[in-house]
Amino acid sequence: MTVAVQLHPELRKWVEERLARYPTRRSLLVPTLMQAQKYHDYASPGLMQAVGELLEVPASEVMSVASFYTLIPKHPVGKHVIQVCHNVSCYLRGCDEVIAHLEERLGCKVGETTEDGKFTLVTVECLAACGSAPVMMVDEKLYENVRPEMVEQILAEAD
Amino acid sequence: MTEQTKVVMRLDGVGDVHRLDVYEANGGYRALRKALAEMKPEEVIEEVKKSGLRGKGGAGFPAGVKWSFVPKDYPGPKYLACNADEGEPGTFKDRWILENNPHEMIEGCIICAYAVGLSHIYVYCRGEFYEGKRRIEQAAQEAYVKGYLGDNILGSGFSTHLTVHTGAGSYECGEETALLTSLEGGRGHPRIKPPFPASEGAWGMPTVVNNVETLATVPAVIANGAEWHAGMGTEKSKGIKMVCVSGHVERPGIYEVEFGVPISGIICDLAGGVWQGRKLKGYFPGGSSTPVLPPEKAELPYDYESIAEAGSMLGSGAIIAFDEETDVVRMAEVIARFYAWESCGKCTPCREGTRWMLQIYERILKGGGRKEDLDILLSICDNLEFRSLCPFGDAAVGVVRSTINLYRDEYEEYIREHKVYRRKFVPVRH
Repeated sequence: MTVAVQLHPELRKWVEERLARYPTRRSLLVPTLMQAQKYHDYASPGLMQAVGELLEVPASEVMSVASFYTLIPKHPVGKHVIQVCHNVSCYLRGCDEVIAHLEERLGCKVGETTEDGKFTLVTVECLAACGSAPVMMVDEKLYENVRPEMVEQILAEAD
Repeated sequence: MTEQTKVVMRLDGVGDVHRLDVYEANGGYRALRKALAEMKPEEVIEEVKKSGLRGKGGAGFPAGVKWSFVPKDYPGPKYLACNADEGEPGTFKDRWILENNPHEMIEGCIICAYAVGLSHIYVYCRGEFYEGKRRIEQAAQEAYVKGYLGDNILGSGFSTHLTVHTGAGSYECGEETALLTSLEGGRGHPRIKPPFPASEGAWGMPTVVNNVETLATVPAVIANGAEWHAGMGTEKSKGIKMVCVSGHVERPGIYEVEFGVPISGIICDLAGGVWQGRKLKGYFPGGSSTPVLPPEKAELPYDYESIAEAGSMLGSGAIIAFDEETDVVRMAEVIARFYAWESCGKCTPCREGTRWMLQIYERILKGGGRKEDLDILLSICDNLEFRSLCPFGDAAVGVVRSTINLYRDEYEEYIREHKVYRRKFVPVRH
């Protein structure tokens, strides 16, 4: 059963302001699903249906598109999302130790959310900051040359 | 001693270059003024052609030639898609441009739009570049206010607009046709070519797709002239390249050099050599998609042709060096996991092949490798390469084949001894 979602008025406004920049309404689909995260918890079926109505795209198509992109959460996530790069340059410079330390400190595994709902821990592919590997992001902020002993400070900053 | 030749990075170290007033005070937008006031659009294309400027996203296709493929008298809108979806592992130069020198790229975009007659510029920026997106948006707003963007630019009668478009986490969207599909609001699937984007691109209209670094080089080419640019580099690889060096080196970072300098010079003189006094075991010359080369091949000149002749590719300009203590099988698994996860799934050989290869790597690292596994991996490579719509499948093959060829004994040791790799964390199975 899909729970109906009312789009946040700010999100509607954001979309309306940008429609003239594209030849089709659908072009705004991916940016809208990204922007929606500022106002809605995650891309729930109800939210995707509402976005589909606004952009004149069938809900099934919205879900198909949303399912393709990793930055669009299709399930509830924690208050903060921690993305740690586990690709080659970060691997060569010790990201595995950082990830292991995060798992221990947060008490949850990669792909999980802490019990208090504060943090979701995920591993991601290259964040294009390999010159300062290993790197991780907490929400929109990038942390570079991360060592396990820096984790405490990084988590405190997010909270 | 290998030295840098800074062109796109010439203002590195000058503070606040992302601000329009600082960029202008350092010669910014002079190339655009020159193009609009002194050159006809076709003369700009001719100049870029003569300069030998090649696309810096990976393919190395001559930019001016690409521009000239766009039909001149097309009866509808034409677009520029600036590819800021930097995602090739090992590459981080476009991030630098977006965050530190956004106006240089915007100026290049406007010059390109003027030369080819493009009415709208879409900067397709990867979703994770939050700071980069903010910087480009701010810079574009400044450019609008100053009359560099919008209607009747600097009184020339030429008009073009710029929109920053965000991606949402997908490596495949850096491929030009997948980027266009994503821009139109779809899953990031590539399209069959031809038709090429220059004739049928975004929303079916002629579209130029160029990388951030390519466009950011254009102002210098126009300001200094084609001969100046063509005078740098080698006969076929002209000009300069921002090289991203990462992995086991003392000073990872971006170094802008003329094509043709020795690769060992980039690794040793500029990046400080292999870290901790260790020896080089091998390196990727152009990102994770390019076959690994052994240390003996570090003396090569850094240009498209020499690296191709050695059996690899210059790619997006990402040198990833690894030292003698690297577990090559685990390193290859890291990359195999990346390709398995990021394959868009449109073409069967790539979707199934990348996943199958990852499964074999996983069982080898668990101590359950079988003696036929290396042959199976190589056979999957043969059945994957050149069998998909975009180069993703070919890219996924490079690391597997090259590391089996160069470090076969390490693979065989894992299999023969049932050696188990001790994981520090368990990767998520997608």
